[in-house]
Amino acid sequence: MEASGVVTRAGLSLRSSRVDVIQGGVAVLAVLFALFALPQLLSLFWIDTSTVTVIYSIAALGVGLLVGRVGMISLGQVAVLALGAWVSAKLLLSTTLPYPIVLLASGVMTMVMGTLIGLPALRVSGLYLALVTLMLAGAITVVLTVTNFPNGGSGFLGYNDNYPGTIRRPSIATSDPAFFRYSVIVAVLMFALVLWHLRSKPGRAWVAIRQSETAALTAGVNVTVYKMWAFALTSFITGVAGGLLGASQGKLYTFQFPTQNSVILFAVVLMGGIYTMWGAVIAAVLLWVIPALFTIWGIDSQVPTILFGVGVLQVVTTAPAGIAHQFPRDMLKLGKLIYRLLRRPATTASSS
Amino acid sequence: MPSWSSFQPFIPIGVALGGVYALSSVGMVVLYRATGVLNLAYGAVGAMGAMISWSLINNAGVPSGWAYLVAVVFGGVSTLLYGVIFGPALAARDPLVKAVGTLGFALILLGLMTVLWSNSNITRSITFPTDNSGFNIGAIPVEWTQVIAFAFGLVMAIGATVFLRFTKIGTAMRALADDREITATLGVPVRRVEAAAWFGSGILAGVSGLLLADLDTLDPSTLTFLVIFTVSAALIARLRSITLAFVAAIVIGVVDNMITPINSITDYRDMTPFVLAIVALLSFSRGRQYSFARGGIR
Repeated sequence: MEASGVVTRAGLSLRSSRVDVIQGGVAVLAVLFALFALPQLLSLFWIDTSTVTVIYSIAALGVGLLVGRVGMISLGQVAVLALGAWVSAKLLLSTTLPYPIVLLASGVMTMVMGTLIGLPALRVSGLYLALVTLMLAGAITVVLTVTNFPNGGSGFLGYNDNYPGTIRRPSIATSDPAFFRYSVIVAVLMFALVLWHLRSKPGRAWVAIRQSETAALTAGVNVTVYKMWAFALTSFITGVAGGLLGASQGKLYTFQFPTQNSVILFAVVLMGGIYTMWGAVIAAVLLWVIPALFTIWGIDSQVPTILFGVGVLQVVTTAPAGIAHQFPRDMLKLGKLIYRLLRRPATTASSS
Repeated sequence: MPSWSSFQPFIPIGVALGGVYALSSVGMVVLYRATGVLNLAYGAVGAMGAMISWSLINNAGVPSGWAYLVAVVFGGVSTLLYGVIFGPALAARDPLVKAVGTLGFALILLGLMTVLWSNSNITRSITFPTDNSGFNIGAIPVEWTQVIAFAFGLVMAIGATVFLRFTKIGTAMRALADDREITATLGVPVRRVEAAAWFGSGILAGVSGLLLADLDTLDPSTLTFLVIFTVSAALIARLRSITLAFVAAIVIGVVDNMITPINSITDYRDMTPFVLAIVALLSFSRGRQYSFARGGIR
């Protein structure tokens, strides 16, 4: 009994470490490819699309973290992204602070705001939290419609109809390909930050909370602190993503952040898969690359919204782990099928 | 602070919109109580119905009465279809998962509307014949449409309360809300009762969509996300009390519109549902620990 337990555990850890190595290798290759090959291969249109995709993968990572790891649904993350974008636009236009400092500052300020606003929401859980965050997204959109995004005007809001200033980029990454690389590096740092959390004490606490808040509490996990921690971490990385977004586009407008985008972001994160970090990358690709492809093919760019709706229904009914889980398994099955098909003539030939 | 007279015209609008929010949130609460599903596609269903009837009137020349009927029937049938297909599959899941499913439905409808009515240069509107006639209460002009909207909300709130308490199917719904399995064991045709709840609430979504298209604006995205006002009222009622949902909806409608003349905060008035719901949630949850209850506050 004891021995078999040990064997299983050892077998499990062996298997998971092997998967880790493969996944890590693929991730490193993907990042290297994105850093060195992609900017050479792509046209300017696709470089811009890829930059936005990378930025949104950070926001998607935040949603995935909340939903998949802690079991909290936030339907307002694009609104939080807009907060980060607002703060960074303000700092970049009215100060001469170095860009990385601005990114960090917008992350921290979004974290503070997100946590403060989220604080009342944390007193409720489950369905109520989802509804409160949806209303929060609506409320932030209302505020942004009034304040607009800073564009170099005077005053605290920094908005002026006749002063269309451009949000600056870091001096080492002013061109589009360079800024794409810069975004990839920042995204890698954010993913690493989240991975570090998941692999250490907070990650274990979140898993416990997701399984059962009661059990987590009895096991000595401070549920409130760790929930708030998850909220804060998500707001931080989303704020940093917002900082990248402003600089990537040069100008920000409120209509880029409608309430429905928060819901759509949540939908693609569910489709991508909430239990692995790959899901965030897939989600961002679904969100930006697919509509871009559709536009090129002459299909209405709103058609993906319909597909995302269908995807959500599929996820909740049959595939809770999303594409990140489903795709490798399907590919493996396909591979086996092809392998069997290829082998069959050979075996029949040898038997006859 | 503006004078009282500048607030006056906004009272009937607020009460009317509050009436429609009440209509929706009563439908939402009844469906939630019967099936455990919080239908976030409520706004999208109403919006799609209103868009269809606009097209029927303006492009196909259908008499407006029939077009409105089509909108209402669309609301009922589409919601019923969703409920019949996905209701049973998700019946045993957490309320949160059920709500997420309806979010998928909402996205499908929203995407469809944006594709089908892609020309955003046309200003679309729905106007009832009752918009142009009305009467005065003191110095305040009131349109008949506004009266109808409020009356619908009031009648539905009373009707739903009576229905749930005194009819057989209403009792079955209340039993379902408590325990689906036991209700089924008692011989209640669970699927049929749930279908009735889906259809009924869908009809209400269709009616609210039309009224909101007239009173507010006919725009797919705006109408879809007016569900936030409805959700807020339902949330303040803790997804249980129909009376509270009605009162909350009226208060939200009135406060939202009464803020209009106050220049300093008029632009922020649409934050009303969020602010009121947060205040309500916080005051409800004072001194109580809610994190254990599945689905939050019960």
